[in-house]
Amino acid sequence: MKPYRAELMVCAGTGCVSNGAFQVKDALENEIKERGLENEVRVVTTGCNGFCGVGPLLVVHPDGIFYQLLTTKDIPYLVEEHFLKGRPVQRLMYTPPEDKLPVPKMSEIEFFKHQMLIALRNRGIIDPENIEEYIARDGYTGLAKALNGMTPEEIIQTVKDSKLRGRGGAGFQTGVKWELTRKAKEKTKYIVCNADEGDPGAYMDRSILESDPHSILEGMIIGARAIGAQQGFIYIRHEYPLAMKRLLIAIDQAKEYGLLGDNIFDTGFSFDIQVHRGAGAFVCGEETALLSALEGQRGEPRPRPPYPVEHGLSGYPTNINNVETWANIPVIISRGAKWYAEIGTENSKGTKVFSLVGKINNTGLVEVPMGIKLRDIIYGIGGGIPDGKKFKAVQTGGPSGGCIPDSLIDLPIDYESLKEAGSMMGSGGMVVMDEDTCMVDVARYFLTFTCDESCGKCSPCRDGTKYLLDILTRITEGKGNMEDLDLLEGLSKVVKETALCGLGQTAPNPILTTMKYFRDEYESHIKDKKCPAKVCRQLNIYTIDEERCVTEGHGCGVCMRECPEKAITGEKKKAHKINQEICVKCGACYDVCRFGAVIVE
Amino acid sequence: MINITLNGKKLSVEEGMTILQVAQQERIDIPTLCYHPLLEPYAACRMCVVEVKGDSKSELKTSCNTKVQEGMVIETDSERTLNARRLNIELLMARAPAAKVIQEMAAQMGIEKTPFPIENPEAKCILCGMCVRVCEDVVGAHVLTFEERGFERKVTTAFNMPSEKCIECGACAYFCPTEAIRVEDFRGREVLHSELTLGPTTAIRIPFMQSTPNVPFIDKDNCIHFKTDKCKLCEMVCEPEAINHDVEDTFKEIEVGSAVLATGYELLDCSNMPQYGYGRLDNVITSLEFEHLCHASGPTGGKILLKDGREPKGVAILHCIGSRDENYMKYCSRVCCMYAMKMAHLVHEKVDAEVYEFYIDIRAFGKGYEEFYNRMQKEGTHFIRGKAAEVTNAALIPEEENKLIVRAEDTTVNMIRRIPVDLVILCPAIVARKDSEKIMKLFGLCSTPDGFFKEQHPKLGPVSTDADGIFLAGACQGPKDIPDTVAQGAGAAGAVMSLGDEVAIEPIFSAIDEEICVGCKICIGVCPYDAISYVEDKKISSIEETLCKGCGACVAACPSGAADQNCFTNSQIEAEVSGALF
Repeated sequence: MKPYRAELMVCAGTGCVSNGAFQVKDALENEIKERGLENEVRVVTTGCNGFCGVGPLLVVHPDGIFYQLLTTKDIPYLVEEHFLKGRPVQRLMYTPPEDKLPVPKMSEIEFFKHQMLIALRNRGIIDPENIEEYIARDGYTGLAKALNGMTPEEIIQTVKDSKLRGRGGAGFQTGVKWELTRKAKEKTKYIVCNADEGDPGAYMDRSILESDPHSILEGMIIGARAIGAQQGFIYIRHEYPLAMKRLLIAIDQAKEYGLLGDNIFDTGFSFDIQVHRGAGAFVCGEETALLSALEGQRGEPRPRPPYPVEHGLSGYPTNINNVETWANIPVIISRGAKWYAEIGTENSKGTKVFSLVGKINNTGLVEVPMGIKLRDIIYGIGGGIPDGKKFKAVQTGGPSGGCIPDSLIDLPIDYESLKEAGSMMGSGGMVVMDEDTCMVDVARYFLTFTCDESCGKCSPCRDGTKYLLDILTRITEGKGNMEDLDLLEGLSKVVKETALCGLGQTAPNPILTTMKYFRDEYESHIKDKKCPAKVCRQLNIYTIDEERCVTEGHGCGVCMRECPEKAITGEKKKAHKINQEICVKCGACYDVCRFGAVIVE
Repeated sequence: MINITLNGKKLSVEEGMTILQVAQQERIDIPTLCYHPLLEPYAACRMCVVEVKGDSKSELKTSCNTKVQEGMVIETDSERTLNARRLNIELLMARAPAAKVIQEMAAQMGIEKTPFPIENPEAKCILCGMCVRVCEDVVGAHVLTFEERGFERKVTTAFNMPSEKCIECGACAYFCPTEAIRVEDFRGREVLHSELTLGPTTAIRIPFMQSTPNVPFIDKDNCIHFKTDKCKLCEMVCEPEAINHDVEDTFKEIEVGSAVLATGYELLDCSNMPQYGYGRLDNVITSLEFEHLCHASGPTGGKILLKDGREPKGVAILHCIGSRDENYMKYCSRVCCMYAMKMAHLVHEKVDAEVYEFYIDIRAFGKGYEEFYNRMQKEGTHFIRGKAAEVTNAALIPEEENKLIVRAEDTTVNMIRRIPVDLVILCPAIVARKDSEKIMKLFGLCSTPDGFFKEQHPKLGPVSTDADGIFLAGACQGPKDIPDTVAQGAGAAGAVMSLGDEVAIEPIFSAIDEEICVGCKICIGVCPYDAISYVEDKKISSIEETLCKGCGACVAACPSGAADQNCFTNSQIEAEVSGALF
């Protein structure tokens, strides 16, 4: 490869792309050409960098200088200053919330500093559409080792020793699962990569698929060898077109290089992978529902037992692992189980990728060792809560998870501790909430999701979630009573205990945890008919601070024009008023008033 | 064998059994809704949950699909289990408040009301998927499926349209635990007397009570297996493994010297007579259907019931439906008067109802018949002389509300009468079978103008036919009651016996001269008795002497003069003609 003076790694993950990363990249290339730098400076598109909140972004190697929030307008100046004159542009660098000084180097930024990259080892470094770059980063060495120097039993033993647990949420020991599938009687065996990531706000699987598709292929080929599978499937959401495109390119390249297909590495071992597009049902992330969908049936879970390791795809033993699990495999094989098992806590080894979203300064994907404290993620990597607001809770595990209150902020994060707190690891979604969040509303939001996504097969999930949602809606509208709380709790428990699959069994978690840690908020909705966070608009009373309206806004009348019910009266330069009898509490006046004259109580 | 503890009792059970199977074996009641022993466990209703206790934690598991494991400790009625079942049934009560099985299950648990809102008080479907699974896995018709998801889920067909793939087997309705699926006959009536109306029939049945041999058979026309190549549930449940679907019908050729035709009759299709409302109005049935209804092995076990299960208070029996009628059959069906009176007698015996007989004349011509007629008059049967003109449900006066009204001219008092009743029994005309023409062609027979087989002579040959060695018995010759049929049958049997080994034929028959015949086949087309066949290897036509009646059609038609008739050869006729002329 030709050496360049500088390599500009433009993030081309979905987040950055939707903010115009490709336009930025084109502008960069044009500008570099115009300045005659094309032989010295090269632009590379990489997979998701992880710091999605500040995209489109650019990392300049070899210095590792990080530019954020780029627009095409910034490019000519950036190219001239940095690449022609050698003066990095401070204006486009990351500045920590409480600091005035920008941090030029990516490795010095708090967001990146505390991360430990295993599954995301190649993110932002390689071009995901180029297999050679993957190989240059020691890619496929794990496969070479597994195929040439190890028996299937040794591979399984290594994975078992590493104590890697399924990253899809339930945390079953991956090595044990592999062994069960290997030992199943049938000769035909399948392996499946579950890339049907559906939790709202979670996108770590997409990021891995987009930034490093070969790591999944390598993991799957090693897995197939260990299990004795001849055919693999990747079940990917239709909503991930970019990930799918890169995956298909990766498969073609791997076949071209003899890493996939017949007679891999001349060892006589053959394995093929097929990509299957999901039609967009959340429940298809559940393994048995995924298998049904893969068979061409309605995507509905089947009763377990029998488990897929014995009776899976079309009745054959099938091993299903999540994207992140597969991505961990090559490193475990090449670097050894001992190295991996040293990371993390006693029962949860290795690292976990979380998508850190919500009311947090640094939004993005973070990979951290197991056992890290919640505080370190939120205040360290995440940079705390914006606008100096107070941290209230963090919701982990997506719609199936629970809310962890600020009292548990020093909780070390692993499978067991999260479960104890009433939540779960899930696929790794982490939604941070500040004091302006109503916990009843949060529970209602997640129930809306699960109720909508329930397949409807078993009655507790189909009907139970619907009635749970009904009760929650009633409470947020101020129509609840205290008996509702008992019914809510009782029904939640029964749904959790008796639902057929993971979706229903975890759907009440948001209710149960919010009721456990924030019961006072429920009571205040019911008894006082007040929403403490002022989110549930039906419980709010909107009034206008007359003095402010006149002195600050000069009676601008915007609220009057916006009010859909014509409940606001007033004249220019005079104070406006809200007629409480007509007001439907839509909050439009509050949203439009630029002078803070509309008050919510 | 595996050791488990079930409700505190230590048991040793076979490996591979589910908890539910063990519990049923131990006579422990676990409620189930979506479980059926002939279907794969579906585990959707969650009613069969039991508590499985482990060392550190105990879990609720569905007993229908969880297999027993060594050392399992199972509680089928712990507080936790019962609580889960209770809330689950409350959820289902809100979904399907009209489902009887849910109401009963709830009542058993002491639940009267569900705390959840009821959207449709008429709803019955609990989405147990029994129908969908049966249609898919057992029947293999793939007609039913689920639509939508979550709370909106429902059972439907593709695009919510009547499916062409439906084989109308009724399995979905049979398996449905809540009666949410109903089978209706083609006129939209609910099937109460499934055998009377045209609802689905069972594919395995004993043809009739007195059949020999008295064993069930598989009706290929109705058997699901022969439509979709699946099902075979009967094979699964038949312990002696007596069922074999691969057995084919075999055709045997038997050489006989003579045959007795006793192919019987049909009843006139009453639905072509709209004035009587058959097939349109409920509780208008034919005499044969009433016969079936009365029978101890019939749909109601011999009780005379209306469609809605009530006993009739008034019954009208309408004679001469299509018989003695210029518009339908001119002849008298002969048996109706007497069986109509027998039916009146049965109604008197079984229910407390008024019986009206609408007749033209009472033809009680047999031995003891007139006496029976007199007895019926004494029993209180109302005899109204006048043919029923119409059956309607349009009431004119309050007494006629919700009744069937029979309108007839009573010729004894010379007025039109309207009689309100609950049940109308039609006595349709006895007609020749639809396929009788085919039989006639096969045996070389003729028919009388009404379509019945023609006997050789009405007085001198009432049993034999124009075809030698072919005899008639019973209603295939014409309407006939049982004694007459038995007598004719015995006569036919006697005639067969008297034949011995040979059939005596008339001396006049045709023959084809093999030397002259060119094999043009013209004679085969003109022979009314199917007596001529083509001999492939000789390439000539040949006459079967026993079938030939000596009509001479072939002789006249033969262009080459090969056909000749003995006793009437050309030279003989020429001699006769010249003798007569000169």
